[in-house]
Amino acid sequence: MLALLKRHRELLLVAVLLVLPLGVFFAEAKRPADRSGLDRVVLAVTRPIEKVVGWAVTGTLRAWSNYVALRGAQARAAALSREVDRLEMERQDLLQARAENERLAALLDLTRASPDRTFLGARVIGVRMDPKGLQLVTLDRGSDGGVRKMMPVLTAQGVVGRVHSVQGGTSDVLLLVDRNSSIAVRVERSRARANVRGLGDPGPCRLDYALRADDLIEGDELVTSGTDGVFPRGLPVGKVARLRRTTYGLYQNADVLPAVDVTKLEEVLVLASSVRPAQAAPAAQAPTQGGR
Amino acid sequence: MKKTALHLALALLLAALQASLLRYVGGGAFSVVLLVPVVVYLGFHAPTVEGALGAAMAGWVLDVMAGGPAGLLTFLCMVLFLGSRLAGASLDIHGKGGFAAASGVGAFCLGVGALLLTRYVSPAESAPGARVLLRVLVESLVTVPAALPVLAAMRRIDALFEKEEPGLLR
Repeated sequence: MLALLKRHRELLLVAVLLVLPLGVFFAEAKRPADRSGLDRVVLAVTRPIEKVVGWAVTGTLRAWSNYVALRGAQARAAALSREVDRLEMERQDLLQARAENERLAALLDLTRASPDRTFLGARVIGVRMDPKGLQLVTLDRGSDGGVRKMMPVLTAQGVVGRVHSVQGGTSDVLLLVDRNSSIAVRVERSRARANVRGLGDPGPCRLDYALRADDLIEGDELVTSGTDGVFPRGLPVGKVARLRRTTYGLYQNADVLPAVDVTKLEEVLVLASSVRPAQAAPAAQAPTQGGR
Repeated sequence: MKKTALHLALALLLAALQASLLRYVGGGAFSVVLLVPVVVYLGFHAPTVEGALGAAMAGWVLDVMAGGPAGLLTFLCMVLFLGSRLAGASLDIHGKGGFAAASGVGAFCLGVGALLLTRYVSPAESAPGARVLLRVLVESLVTVPAALPVLAAMRRIDALFEKEEPGLLR
């Protein structure tokens, strides 16, 4: 019997491979209720094989479709990368525009808050902050634009300095941190008077001539007193820091943290007149016009 | 056995290609039956055991892809394998043209056989109609040129397992 099987094994294999699928086909075609015991056995035997083949086929199909889907992915990735770069540059531009918009809006608020004053807007186009020389910034507006010497320059945060020299299209501003700058101030809380003098570098300034008996504490807000003939009263200058009061002498010493960070100036307002010419009284207007 | 495994791998690859071509060729209305040339080649050239196993596996792959009742295309591929073997033995089929034509005829027979068997087991209302015959005919015609690269691939696989006999002059 075994010899017979061995002799005709090829034929047997072909017969099995021919009959078995046909049996599976007829068994599968029947409704489950109509299936005989033989049908169930055939299906039970072939189902694991079917699962394995199904897994292999679907795996290959999926891998193939993934490959097909990936065609051109490199080109798409490169195009997307370029698009990302472009959008990033656009985003940076927008961020800058937004920051500028915020700064300009703050300046505009300042002009709206002081309708009786005339402001000239200007942009900082040059910085000269030599530790051994003057602390200057150059504005893009000069005498042609209405800027005159000694005009106060400020931002929404407070005093920047005063116009030091004027050319046709540009002007130089002496910053409040310069050694030659001295601004008359008043303590907002106690109304005590003093002077804020620059030390020649962009750091803190010094508080001069604050009487030892004056009420002064660290953190006090300093505003212009309007008594120096340059700055109108009430503009923020800075805050008192590191107050030093000795047991002797006439004055107390303190550092002043400027309200404006002079290293980050971009747009400023030049205070052309503390009172609008049309609204000013004729008596007050005459000397100003004569001065020009 | 290695050869059979390679045949199976090629069958899987062709099945994947066939499935993706279905989307691009004929817009889903008809496809190329790339596995039929494999079965025909096995019928012509492979030893009986290897060829029968390869044909059965190709048929099973077709069954899984078709999603119809299991066993139908396996059985038909086995019939096609035996038919090719008989044709190879009794007819003088040589060259690429003969192989391509045999593949086309095989694809047609496979389609008609599937149609008849499905009609036999299906209820009358859901049985496929004679209109499917046109589709089978188109698929057979498309299969004819597609059989040539399959023939080249199968020959390449066979060449991997050819051993030179020592002392034979070429």
